[in-house]
Amino acid sequence: MILQQLVNGISIGAVYALIAVGYSLVYSVLNFSNFAHGEILMLGSYVGFFALTQLNVPFVLSIALAMIGAGVIAILMEKIGYRALRLRQAPLLYFMISAMGLSIFLQNFTIVTIGPNFRTYPDVLPTQPFTLGNLSIGRIDLLIFAITVISLAMLTWLIYRTKLGSAIRAASYNMNVASLMGINPDLIVMIVFALAGSTAGIGGVLFGMKYTVYPWMGALTIKAFIAAVVGGLGSLPGAVLGAFVLGITETFAAAFVSSEFRDLFAYTLMITIIVLRPAGLLGTLTQEKA
Amino acid sequence: MFKKLMLSAVILATILAFSGCQQQAEEDTIKIGFFGALSGDQAVWGQADRDGLTLTVEQINEAGGIMGKQVELITYDDKGDQLEAVNVVKRLINEDKVSAIIGCNSSGRNIAVAPVVEEGKVPIISTFATNPRVTVPEEGKLMQYTFRVCFIDPYSGDVTAQFAWNDLEATKAAVLYEISSDYSVGVRDFFTQAWEELGGEIVADEAFKTGDVDFRAQLTTIKEAEPDVIVMPFLYKEVALAAKQARDLGITATMLGGDGWPSTALLEMAADAVEGSYFINHADVDAPHVQEWRDQYQERFGKDIEINAIMSHDAMLMVKAAIEESGSTDPEVIRDALENLTGVEGFSGTINIDPETHNPAGKAAVIIEIKDGKFQFFKQFEPMN
Repeated sequence: MILQQLVNGISIGAVYALIAVGYSLVYSVLNFSNFAHGEILMLGSYVGFFALTQLNVPFVLSIALAMIGAGVIAILMEKIGYRALRLRQAPLLYFMISAMGLSIFLQNFTIVTIGPNFRTYPDVLPTQPFTLGNLSIGRIDLLIFAITVISLAMLTWLIYRTKLGSAIRAASYNMNVASLMGINPDLIVMIVFALAGSTAGIGGVLFGMKYTVYPWMGALTIKAFIAAVVGGLGSLPGAVLGAFVLGITETFAAAFVSSEFRDLFAYTLMITIIVLRPAGLLGTLTQEKA
Repeated sequence: MFKKLMLSAVILATILAFSGCQQQAEEDTIKIGFFGALSGDQAVWGQADRDGLTLTVEQINEAGGIMGKQVELITYDDKGDQLEAVNVVKRLINEDKVSAIIGCNSSGRNIAVAPVVEEGKVPIISTFATNPRVTVPEEGKLMQYTFRVCFIDPYSGDVTAQFAWNDLEATKAAVLYEISSDYSVGVRDFFTQAWEELGGEIVADEAFKTGDVDFRAQLTTIKEAEPDVIVMPFLYKEVALAAKQARDLGITATMLGGDGWPSTALLEMAADAVEGSYFINHADVDAPHVQEWRDQYQERFGKDIEINAIMSHDAMLMVKAAIEESGSTDPEVIRDALENLTGVEGFSGTINIDPETHNPAGKAAVIIEIKDGKFQFFKQFEPMN
């Protein structure tokens, strides 16, 4: 049973990882928690859903469309909600208020236009799970894990091996000095949001496939936030590690202590990390890294 | 100064004249209030509640109304939230001044608004709240203004236990329930009690919180315990997810549910996973005497009926009977008539209100089987006492 629970924990962790990475990326460059990140995920999920059901595109294309859609939405969000604040060097609190406002607005806008009913993704994979002896692994979970790993690998390559990645990392250290070096801060911010949006879009499709699509599915972001904090806010590998730690801790708590305490353990984990090691497992205190 | 005085006097007179008009308009219609979850998790049911009520009111009005007066239906969305429910009920009582309120489908929210209607002295009939505490919050105390048209959880728990023991011949049961729901906790408590009295064994008792979407940790524990049946007294969305995840994990036990299951959305979301399961319902939407109304509903709203529409229809019949018997639209008089109401023929059965508990006595339960991707009537259970 421990092995099965481990599999469960890892598959939940993979979903958290995708979301946490986007979240952490925005935090590393802009220094604030984008509470509306979950809504990008939600809208990306709807884009993928409608692409699959209304436009009848193949699955891979629907993920691509969701990525692009979510990326565009993220860019718009930045332009509308945060750019003016950034240019005015507004205190962080204003960003958070704007984020919360955007979050509430998008949720209710979706409820009013698309409707509050749950949408189920059509079955893209055969529903029979893989069984290895006593272990049962859903095919969707394998797909989620695979896509998460590929997306993270690509993102890491982008950030650490390309010129654009260096620019992003430079901006995350110090935006002003980076712009002195010839980096366009507006462009960098826009690209970061687009990247975060894309990962959220993929995450949205995968999450929607597993758990259905609904306007307030963005509430999941709080778990991504915990994952990012545990791993070290601003650190990408940290976000991934934190996500898996969170997924496994939650699952084991629910299985071996009591299923009623699942969330309690998740939040206790976050508080413990903040108290004992505030930078998170992989973060560094003085500098934020992309 | 004189001009100002004249102006204020004219304005005052106009306002008074208009409010006079208002008074007249009020007396020509009977105002009935409705509140329910028109958005959120339970929107499917809240909307069905409202639509069933709307159709019933339209039909009553076409036939001449109640005591010659047209019925005006005022509806509010409580978004599935207890705080919002309290707010809208207060509005119905204080601003809209309704004669009676119908709603809602949730035990949690009805328990929350019960004190509000007590104070406001307007009777409320819940369509689907099954927790006994809605009308009888504790031993010996009765909420004077709260009634319901459905049976209660102790009965459901009993029926589930008896069905599993006698019909499915199970001896080991696992329970998965929603700890933040009054309804779910109630059914789990009553099932466990009845089950153990019959001699059954509870091999696993797992919980989750509202909003959770992943139940595999709990389901893995349940799988290890090897139950014959798994009782899942919660709402269709979580049921669909849990059922799919259970089958994914290789669990083959029969799943049993309560009145939180019935919804076409359940079949849309998880038809394969819930195949072969059973659940308890207040009435059978496929019963012959319901079909004509069901077609009218389909024509009016362009979608198939949900069980909630039947319950709100029956609740409205109760209100109509109470008004006709008492000859008044005064909320307090309606309340008295509701308390002693007998012989109302609804789609869910004959409704006789028990004055001691404000619950309908003698309502039967039906067991529905999910077979071939459809809800099929399986069995009827004796009326509760």
